[in-house]
Amino acid sequence: MPEPLLEVSELSVDYLTETADVRAVDQVSFTVEPGEFLGIVGESGCGKSTLLFGVAQLLSPPGEVAGGQVVFRGEDMVRLGPDDLRHMRWRDFSMVMQSAMNALNPMKSIGAQFKDTLEAHGSMSIEKIRRRSAEALEMVGIDPVHLGSYPHQLSGGMRQRAMIAMALLFTPQLVMMDEPTSALDVVAQRSLMSQIKDLQRSLGFAVIFVTHDMSVVSRYSDRVMVMYAGQIAEAARTEAIFARPLHPYTRGLMSAFPSVAGPRRELIGIPGAPPDLARPPSGCRFHPRCPEVMPQCLTREVPLYPLGDADVRCLLYEEQAKKAV
Amino acid sequence: MSLEEHPGAVDTSEPLLRAVDLTRHFSLGGLFGKDLLHAVDDFNLTIHEKEIVALVGESGSGKSTIARLLAKVYAPTRGEILYRGRPVKKLRSRKDLLWYRGEVAMVFQDPFSAFNPVFRVSHGVMRNLALHRPDVRRDQRRQEAERVFESVGLNAKMLRRFPYEMSGGERQRVGFAQALATAPKLILADEPVSMLDVSIRVGVLNMMASLRDREGVSLLYITHDIASARYVADRVIVMYAGHLVEEGPTDTVLRDPKHPYTQLLLSAVADPREKLEEIAGDTGEPPKVINPSEGCRFRSRCPYAIEKCSLITPRPGPIGPSQVACHVALAQAEGATDRVETAPITQR
Repeated sequence: MPEPLLEVSELSVDYLTETADVRAVDQVSFTVEPGEFLGIVGESGCGKSTLLFGVAQLLSPPGEVAGGQVVFRGEDMVRLGPDDLRHMRWRDFSMVMQSAMNALNPMKSIGAQFKDTLEAHGSMSIEKIRRRSAEALEMVGIDPVHLGSYPHQLSGGMRQRAMIAMALLFTPQLVMMDEPTSALDVVAQRSLMSQIKDLQRSLGFAVIFVTHDMSVVSRYSDRVMVMYAGQIAEAARTEAIFARPLHPYTRGLMSAFPSVAGPRRELIGIPGAPPDLARPPSGCRFHPRCPEVMPQCLTREVPLYPLGDADVRCLLYEEQAKKAV
Repeated sequence: MSLEEHPGAVDTSEPLLRAVDLTRHFSLGGLFGKDLLHAVDDFNLTIHEKEIVALVGESGSGKSTIARLLAKVYAPTRGEILYRGRPVKKLRSRKDLLWYRGEVAMVFQDPFSAFNPVFRVSHGVMRNLALHRPDVRRDQRRQEAERVFESVGLNAKMLRRFPYEMSGGERQRVGFAQALATAPKLILADEPVSMLDVSIRVGVLNMMASLRDREGVSLLYITHDIASARYVADRVIVMYAGHLVEEGPTDTVLRDPKHPYTQLLLSAVADPREKLEEIAGDTGEPPKVINPSEGCRFRSRCPYAIEKCSLITPRPGPIGPSQVACHVALAQAEGATDRVETAPITQR
């Protein structure tokens, strides 16, 4: 068994506010194998972006890692200093942000920003920088003439592609993506996703892909992790989770969006709204919205039960999990 | 609530709202700018009573401009809007405008910025009742506000809340309650669910259908999400770069789309319950329409484009119950009855 590329164990992230400390990510553990595509799905405020920032050590006050480990290639990133992290960023792991318009510097051309990134990791000749930048842009299907373009001259889809090209300048082993497609139209979204998947197959990097849209990850990820109120609700292989969703929340999410094919039928969605993490519900955090709520759900903290290949945080599976052990 | 074809959507002599050759251009580049952005060109639309019409298109296709034209936020560059046969352009007096804005209400995309944070959510509802509902006496307004709140699925007690005390889904329902307080015949809903969490979108869509069925309101549902349009709408209009490309009954358009753009849009929708084939390398972004020349605006992305497409702008023509603006599709439909000269379909 090869060592996992990334091993996150019991990672917690707090936001320190004046009134209370809000635990946005609560003891989340997962691993990413080399070359694996992991999708993290959840609604706004479930902690999915915070988790990603916690893994990448990009949290800024009031957010901070409250506990846990992030072991990347054998090193605990939580303990590394800013200098060590700077050496690793872009080269060993990189991040693609949700809004490329905000992530790119509006005052600098794409080429200049690529150059900055490349020069941050050792000196390179101008010729080599130009060649590598052009290669990276071509990889994502943008004409290298756009190295001279400024972000505002590119369309939304092209900016997002340029961000991905930048993340791949050093061909890192891990690329983290925070909703890179959610600001795009469906057609552009679809073509960008196919491209990410193609690049991942040919270059072999691992991807952590955060999204609110189940359907986006369905076709591209190897594994899916569903988050609710700062915790993992369910994690399983993609085919398994779509064929047989276990957690009532996952089931609700799956039947919450209409389909373009098949019979038109009435959908129900999930009643209520996601909880405020400053005051999480007692017991199971999903119980106020759960259609299968039981009396013990209101009082008992629910652990993550391993069920074969899957993990699920729901008391419905307590017995089954015990038998399996 | 029924999701079948709605029986109320019958053809009467004069529809609720009709837009004829609606066009809106914006000049770019300041005072002396000569460039014209064609946001909407020659757009025809009818909305009948008790009907949900979905206006589907990508960002920049001109769908929000249409909502603003219909709401009299913008004046059209050309073309006319008729409300119950009355030209909207001629409504100028305060009384007439108040009447029109009560008949045609609007709901906005972002429920987080659409409300004044220092007022309770009852404020907007009560104000609309005072302005647009002379039939409701002052001492009955509270009661009517409660009724309106309940009809959008909110608890009447929530009238006392401030916007920050409500979730996104609840706030969007307040937006609908405000619109409903004017007793409108038509609600223009511009992307009402796109800012909401996936798990609560369906609830708002179901509420829209119940407004049609119980309150007898028509809705223009503007969206980029063709799947949600299919779920809730009686009729669908697809827009591309300021043009109407296809219009027809929801089931017809989605089961058998005739325009290549509608086909592309449908094939791009990811559905975890369906295994879809990969689409060819279309990077998929609609053009900005600045000083356009004659011709179909989709032709550079179209796999079926023929020479005619770059010479003559296709106008919508009938195919079955639908209207389709595509030379190739129209020629094919015609060719089914008698063989007219059709240029070969070139697969690029």
